[in-house]
Amino acid sequence: MMATAEMNKPQAGRLMRQQQRWGWIFLSPWIIGFFAFTALPILASLIFSFTDFALNKPEEIEFVGFQNYVQLFKDPLVSVSLWVTLKFALLSLPIAVALPIALASLLNSKHLRGKRVLRTLFYMPYIVPVVSAVYIWQGVLNTETGWLNRLFGLLGISGPDWLNSVVWIYPALVIIGLWGLGNAYLITLAGMQSVPTEYYEAARVDGANGWHRFRHVTLPMISPVIFYNLILTIIGLFRYFEIPFILKQGTGYPGSSTMFFNIHFYKTTFVFLDMGYGSTLAWLLFLITLAVTLVLFASARYWVYYASGDSS
Amino acid sequence: MAATRTAVQNTVNTSPYYGRQLKQFTAVALTTLFAFMILGVYLMPFSYMLVTSFKDKAQIIAGAKGPILPMDPITLNYQGEVLEVFKVPFPEGVRQLALLKKGRSESSFVDPENPDAEPIVWEGRWRTLEPVIQFSPRYGNFKAAWDGINFPRLLFNTTFIAVTGLIGTLLSCIAVAYAFARFPIPGKPILFMVLIATIILPRQVMLVPTFAFFSAIGWVGTWLPLIVPHFFANAYNVFLLRQYFLQLPRELDEAAMIDGAGPLRILLSVIIPQSWPVIVAVALFHLVFAWNDYFEPLIYTLGKPEIQPIAVGIQQFNFRFNQQPHLIQATALLGMVLPVILFFMAQRFFMRGVVVTGVEK
Amino acid sequence: MIRSLIVKSTVTLLLSTLLVAAAQGVTITWFVGLGTGADPAQQGVQEAVVEAFNAMQDDITLKVVFVINQVSVETLSTLIATGEAPDIVGPVGFAGSNAFKGNFLDIQPYVDASGYDLSQFPEAAVEFQRTEEGLLGLPLANFPAFLYYRPEHFDEAGLEYPPASYGDPYILDGEEVEWDVDTMTEIAKILTVDANGNDATMDEFDPENIVQWGFMNQWAGPGAMRQHATLFGSGHLVDEDGNAFMPEHWRAAFNWLHQGIWEDHFIPTEAQNASDQLANDNAFSSGNLSMAQSHLWYTCCLADDGWDAAALPSYNGQATARLHADTFRILNTTEHPAEAFEVLAYLTGEASLDLLSVYGGMPARPDDQPQFFARLDEKYPQGVNWEVVRESLNFPDIPTHEAWLPNNNKTNDRIDALRSLLTSEPGVDVDAEIDKMIADLQAIYEEYYAEEGR
Repeated sequence: MMATAEMNKPQAGRLMRQQQRWGWIFLSPWIIGFFAFTALPILASLIFSFTDFALNKPEEIEFVGFQNYVQLFKDPLVSVSLWVTLKFALLSLPIAVALPIALASLLNSKHLRGKRVLRTLFYMPYIVPVVSAVYIWQGVLNTETGWLNRLFGLLGISGPDWLNSVVWIYPALVIIGLWGLGNAYLITLAGMQSVPTEYYEAARVDGANGWHRFRHVTLPMISPVIFYNLILTIIGLFRYFEIPFILKQGTGYPGSSTMFFNIHFYKTTFVFLDMGYGSTLAWLLFLITLAVTLVLFASARYWVYYASGDSS
Repeated sequence: MAATRTAVQNTVNTSPYYGRQLKQFTAVALTTLFAFMILGVYLMPFSYMLVTSFKDKAQIIAGAKGPILPMDPITLNYQGEVLEVFKVPFPEGVRQLALLKKGRSESSFVDPENPDAEPIVWEGRWRTLEPVIQFSPRYGNFKAAWDGINFPRLLFNTTFIAVTGLIGTLLSCIAVAYAFARFPIPGKPILFMVLIATIILPRQVMLVPTFAFFSAIGWVGTWLPLIVPHFFANAYNVFLLRQYFLQLPRELDEAAMIDGAGPLRILLSVIIPQSWPVIVAVALFHLVFAWNDYFEPLIYTLGKPEIQPIAVGIQQFNFRFNQQPHLIQATALLGMVLPVILFFMAQRFFMRGVVVTGVEK
Repeated sequence: MIRSLIVKSTVTLLLSTLLVAAAQGVTITWFVGLGTGADPAQQGVQEAVVEAFNAMQDDITLKVVFVINQVSVETLSTLIATGEAPDIVGPVGFAGSNAFKGNFLDIQPYVDASGYDLSQFPEAAVEFQRTEEGLLGLPLANFPAFLYYRPEHFDEAGLEYPPASYGDPYILDGEEVEWDVDTMTEIAKILTVDANGNDATMDEFDPENIVQWGFMNQWAGPGAMRQHATLFGSGHLVDEDGNAFMPEHWRAAFNWLHQGIWEDHFIPTEAQNASDQLANDNAFSSGNLSMAQSHLWYTCCLADDGWDAAALPSYNGQATARLHADTFRILNTTEHPAEAFEVLAYLTGEASLDLLSVYGGMPARPDDQPQFFARLDEKYPQGVNWEVVRESLNFPDIPTHEAWLPNNNKTNDRIDALRSLLTSEPGVDVDAEIDKMIADLQAIYEEYYAEEGR
């Protein structure tokens, strides 16, 4: 930026245009892909939300105006499922954001031996296919025969009914979710790897101890990556689906405790085959998530530090 | 240099050296021990997967409240029947006997050492007896999984889909992220929000229109819908790479620019060399995603088992009426071998020292 | 190795493209997965049947597609919605096809046009396939329910076996008693045992530590509460005026179920059923279950251990054996209905015995039945009482427990919610929950009636 400011105006303008042109060239794969593969389905789903499209009667599709949107207010499961989603999000968000940082710090520690093996093993659960993972957790969390409760039993504690109690199902889902932290920890680790060593050396010269170095060098330097994890976790929580779906065959049991918003959407669309209302639910979810995301992006300028001095 | 310094210290005064050495050793030992303890807890369910893959159905059922490892009861072949051996208490001591006829209040047993003798009647409840068992893992599960779903074929399909998609995603996402991180494109914040917005809508809502589109252009029943879109960047990776690129100081770019490097040169010789950890991370994410993606590969390869990837194949053992958890786990483990090895190898890129961190002085 | 794979796969792909191009005429796609049929062990026989058909004639190319049951509804609906619908689906019963009501072809015109002889089937079997939408399939198989039991468990407990024929009494403590639900409950409790060998009738019985259960209803499809309740007699959740309605004997059945799980402990709870001890929701094959009510299609799992068949108990003097009659259906979106019907006739005709040997269904064509049971005896040499299976056909549930209900998918969803509650929560006021469900069903029905009236 400094360099361009010192140049004379016409030259700067030309450079600017040239830079813009390069920008568009590099951006073009996404722009083309967006129009070829993404824009059309998104638009189609928006149109569906104004129709009574039943998946098994595609030829009988009719426009119904805002009827599906009115239905949103009449459908008791909308508030139930939003509440379930919100409850779970509040419970798991702090863990999903803090734990990867802790784990990455541990696995980046210069005192640690066996790094390659440890990092691989900590990532490994993420590679386990989800169907097989759900089986594993059903085996581990079963009230009667699960390893966890058998372990509690050895200590003389009678463990809870993790998967069939409307209360314990949430901690159970959080525990299962711990296995999905592989990506977040790896990204954080990659972020830590890029912090220039000089910064640490400078901090050391200034007499900063381990915690201070972490707080004042590592954290700000990896804040872009934390921001990424935060946004992705939130989007992921709003779209939380696969694990409760396979665990409870998409039923939402026990009670309505696993009736996450996305399960309600999925059931409406693929069990009740009501693609019209299903699309409406999807768009409600879209608007809520987008609003939260925008707020977070607006907040980023106060706590995310970009070494390149740029954001927009 | 370091060696000479320690040598000097060594001659002058030994105790601080050993003190530091000891402190260092303690820190290493404690940190490593702590990490392995956490790992033990974290991977406890994984050991469940591992032992399940070495059991057969009967062993899984027996293990529900019994032994965790794959164990078989020791049995006796007696007049064409297979009898299980139990530890039976008698006043004169515990004997190992084979259970011949079960009853609620008394059961009869055969002595394996003297099977021709009269059956021994024991009063008491046989369910309270401890069975005699031995360790006998079922290695055959892996062969059954391998043969059951044409593993080499599925492995090849998955690798092909994953690797071609990987090339596409790396090329396109790096370029797009570079554009977002470094170029003054008008309306960039809005474009970026559009990009993020594309990952907010649930995939399933776009499934029907997407499928209809690919079906209209005749791509259903081929790998194209699973590969080609990756050449046009996806929001997850673009966002991640952009965050990382923004974290890189601009001084190096500008130095290269003053040396006359064009944008492409800067990307290749300045940005990418500084970004190996995140690029490798993106590559790994894509591989794992492609490895485990299920529903879309299923519907796009429907009726063509010869082009299906591994995730679809594994599901074969998840059938409704007669589930085979041990085969599911064995298949899953086999399927994981390649990604885990790749991950282990990729560690090289996360080791400080390989990364070019700062301006060379 | 990789290289040879690449070469091989390229050649295969090229060849298959050429072959598809070369195959002139009509392609008929057959979708398997809504019911049984997609297990790897079953696929081979079906593929052989397809090959045989393709070798037999040149006009039609038959193609088969397997989708596991768990994702079959979403897969089929996506295919229909995008115009890629298959031509034939099945085997499928009413439970599996109710989700697609209105998508099936009335085959009566093709029966008439081709002069197909329906008289080879019992009339009732043909009528079973007829709904207000028309004749939706040709009879293929009957899967009556009966009582599966493990003789070994009865021996151990010193109990007599359940009656081998309907109407026979049971011998309890040397005395003849009626084989009814109460008697079965009594012996089911004796067959329920804890780790110390106490049974569920004893005071010292420990319900926290059960190792063997007396009875359960094996496998629950959508709206499974209706399956459970049919042990007490057939019923329907709609009255003559189209209102939601709970038959009294079904109310009794739901109360019995809840009490059997939580007070008498002879039926496993949801958590117990999902545990490794009961083979992950497949109690039948765990060896820890003594009696099960299920259908003939469960013969898949007889081989594992010694099951035998017996009569189902009566309730209020009447025994009821649920009936499934799965077959193939043609989707009304097909572009080649006549050819699809030709395939349908082949699958339910020449190919049927081969197919039924893997589906486990009793042939709907009486002439084929002896051969079918002879094959089963070869497969399960322990000597199963097939006669009682045949006899069970005389006690079908009419109306069927799989009958379509207004707003079918949502209705079943609500019924399943009650099942989940009863099997996972102790201390439920069952009657109040039933009333709540009926009120909800009424609203769900009315939503449907309002839409239909629109």
